[in-house]
Amino acid sequence: MCNLYLVDDDQDVLDSLKWMLEGMGYAPQTFTNASSFLTQVDLHLPGVAILDIQMPGVDGIELLQRVKQQESPLSVIMLTGHGTISMAVQALQHGAIDFLEKPADGDKLQALMKKASLMSLDAYQHKEKASSVAQRIASLTPREQQVMHAVLAGKLNKVIAAELNIAQRTIELHRQKVMQKMQVNNVAELAYLMAITKP
Amino acid sequence: MTSICDRQRAIARKSDSRYWYQHPNEAAAKLSALKYLKRAQLLRLRHIRHLWKVSIQLFTSLFRGLFIGLFVALVASPVPSALANSDSNQAATLTSRSYTVGALAFAAPEIVYQRWAPTLARVTKETGIALELVPLRPDELVERVSNNSLDFIIGNALITVAFKKDYGVSHLLTLVPLNHANPEQAVGTALISRSSLEINALSDLEGLRVVSSDPNAFGGFQIIAGEMITAGIDPLNDLRQLEFVGFPQEKLLDFLREDRADVAILPSCVLESAIAQGKLTRGELHVLLPQFQPGFSCQASSSLYPGYAFSKLGKTDHDVARHIVRALLDIESQDQQAILGRYHTWSVPVDDSQVFTLLQQLDRWPFVTNWQRLAEDAIPWALVIAIILALGYLHHLRVKRLVKKRTQALSDEMTQHKDTQKRLFEQQQQFYRAQRVLLTGEMASGIAHELNQPLAGIRYLAQGSIYRLLAQQTDLQHALSKILQQVDRAQNTIKRFRQFCQQPSVYQDCDLKELIQDTLNLMQPDFKRMDLNPKQFLWPLTVTLDISLMQQVFVNLIRNALDAMDETNDPQLAIAITNDSENAVIVVSDSGIGLSEQALERLFFPFETSKANGLGLGMVVCKRIVEEHGGKIRAFNNREASRTQHLPKELGNEFPRFATGLTLVITLPLKENVHV
Repeated sequence: MCNLYLVDDDQDVLDSLKWMLEGMGYAPQTFTNASSFLTQVDLHLPGVAILDIQMPGVDGIELLQRVKQQESPLSVIMLTGHGTISMAVQALQHGAIDFLEKPADGDKLQALMKKASLMSLDAYQHKEKASSVAQRIASLTPREQQVMHAVLAGKLNKVIAAELNIAQRTIELHRQKVMQKMQVNNVAELAYLMAITKP
Repeated sequence: MTSICDRQRAIARKSDSRYWYQHPNEAAAKLSALKYLKRAQLLRLRHIRHLWKVSIQLFTSLFRGLFIGLFVALVASPVPSALANSDSNQAATLTSRSYTVGALAFAAPEIVYQRWAPTLARVTKETGIALELVPLRPDELVERVSNNSLDFIIGNALITVAFKKDYGVSHLLTLVPLNHANPEQAVGTALISRSSLEINALSDLEGLRVVSSDPNAFGGFQIIAGEMITAGIDPLNDLRQLEFVGFPQEKLLDFLREDRADVAILPSCVLESAIAQGKLTRGELHVLLPQFQPGFSCQASSSLYPGYAFSKLGKTDHDVARHIVRALLDIESQDQQAILGRYHTWSVPVDDSQVFTLLQQLDRWPFVTNWQRLAEDAIPWALVIAIILALGYLHHLRVKRLVKKRTQALSDEMTQHKDTQKRLFEQQQQFYRAQRVLLTGEMASGIAHELNQPLAGIRYLAQGSIYRLLAQQTDLQHALSKILQQVDRAQNTIKRFRQFCQQPSVYQDCDLKELIQDTLNLMQPDFKRMDLNPKQFLWPLTVTLDISLMQQVFVNLIRNALDAMDETNDPQLAIAITNDSENAVIVVSDSGIGLSEQALERLFFPFETSKANGLGLGMVVCKRIVEEHGGKIRAFNNREASRTQHLPKELGNEFPRFATGLTLVITLPLKENVHV
């Protein structure tokens, strides 16, 4: 289980929620306002944040927006004292996993947190992979990128050679280099890699 | 020679000619002299009418009928054409023309002619001025005088005085009668009856058969008539058996002798001369109510008056008159002309003030009313009155129509006003209903929130405890689960309560100016009560908001302001709309008592109030609503030194900065994209 963060302006409620989650076996970190959360949490790591919507200053929705702006892999679950539909829609639109009314049932919350945790990890891995793929692509020369895109488009070597007006042999060398740099063994693997990391 | 004189003459001429031409018959002519006098009265009446007419003009002008007045003036005003007299060309032709002398005659013009002709013939002979004698009946005389077609007049004292008064006739000479030394006492009236009859006063005549020759006869009627009027007797009406029998006057004595009448009205000396001529025996008849006058040889029943007078008309040449008067004065009593004319001599004019008095008495006498004459005289007036009445009626119709029209307009307006009032009332009702719901909602929301937090805590703690239980602690697990159920139940109740009290917000584009003006209208009764006219600095600004909610905010702010000014001497309220690039800003400022520092800090906290029976939710509701719209509300005391920096920079200098009181600033986002 990854990091768990709780944000609520009411200290008593925060403590009791923490008490419940600890009873489930989690070790949540608690914050009574948005700014302390933003300063103390590394948003690039996977984790689950449970945010109260009604808070003075930066409220839950705004905090959610800031987290998502930083492309954090954090999964966010929104909690509210009295929710409205428009609030729920807004929360989900801004990328929350779910929207629960206070007090949330422990079991429901646990299931949701598990899912959120997985999603966060997933997002984190996906983000990692995407960044490594991006790095690999960045290591290609412009010519190699040209050749790679032509190969992904399903073109034969001689067609590519004709289009780029270079020798077929050179194309083959570029193609080999691309496979090497992208750390794949064949074109199908390359296409898969590109597809899953496509933003 | 004044224009007034001319004008009067012109009027008289105009009306007289009309009258005389239309009444040539003899019977009417009989009363002509009296009528002439009556006409003098009419002239005076005309003056009164003139005044009346002026007042009519004023009256009509009051009715915006100035044009009517002008019309009246045109129709009714006497024609002031100054008739040019051609006096001057006469002197040169002293002898080249003949002059007309009108002599008063009653019945027999030939007798009158015989009386005066020798005298005039002598004058013509002596002066070379041709004189033409014309005996004229009183009516003819008046007509000729008014026509200016006579040069000289020989008439009795009364008619001379009347002409003097009305036509500017100059009295030149008075006739001295035979047998009497004093020309001022030439003629009187004798009431004659048989010696067997005696009366004590003029009023005794009322039951008797009275005869007179003519109502125009001077000595024969008018003198005694004047005295009767003075005594309060109307001779024509009160003397029920009065009869005018005509000339000659001796005829009346026969009436007495034949017992056809009891009393005869005759000039003085008629009885005496009849006795002298042997026509009567002394003692057969006698004079009633005799008055003895020293130096007067006959008995008279009345005062005495001067006799005949010779007069000239105003236009007649003075030189001619001078010659004629000299010739007349030359006549001696023994001359043939004097004997034929039955007079002693001519003398200078005598005091005729007595005659004036008599004339006035006769003037005041309500003469027999000539209805036809009056009717004709009244025609122009009747026309004018008819026109005025017609115009008045038209005016009345117009006023009636206007009244109807305006009544309709008024009742329309009243209906409209009623509708407006009704609408306003409904709006107010709706507003208060909304406020109630909103307050209930706000209370529910507050309570729900306050309860929800501890409930949440309880639930978390209970469930946390369950997670910590060992598998065999089933009874605790059961109890803790019950806690969860009870919490859930409590929460459901709260949720239902909130849902029940909550009214969904309806956002729509709305003009802030209109909204604020509507709100001010809604609170007009409060302003009236406080004699307050809110200063408005409003301009149209469209904002997306929930109209009924935002109206609650404004009403609450204004009501708070009014409450704060309850004991202020000079309550003032100012409301402004302004904006910066992102927000609409509404500023409400009052000149009330303001708030203490502590109260200001806790202004937007629930259940905080400075009012005796306030709930302390008004400002909380305001804050909640404003925040629900994504806006902000803040308040500060006007006495604060830093107040200027609280006010938005965009607010103009016209906005009043009160020394005391509270100012509230609401900012609402112009681009309404976040509804929390």
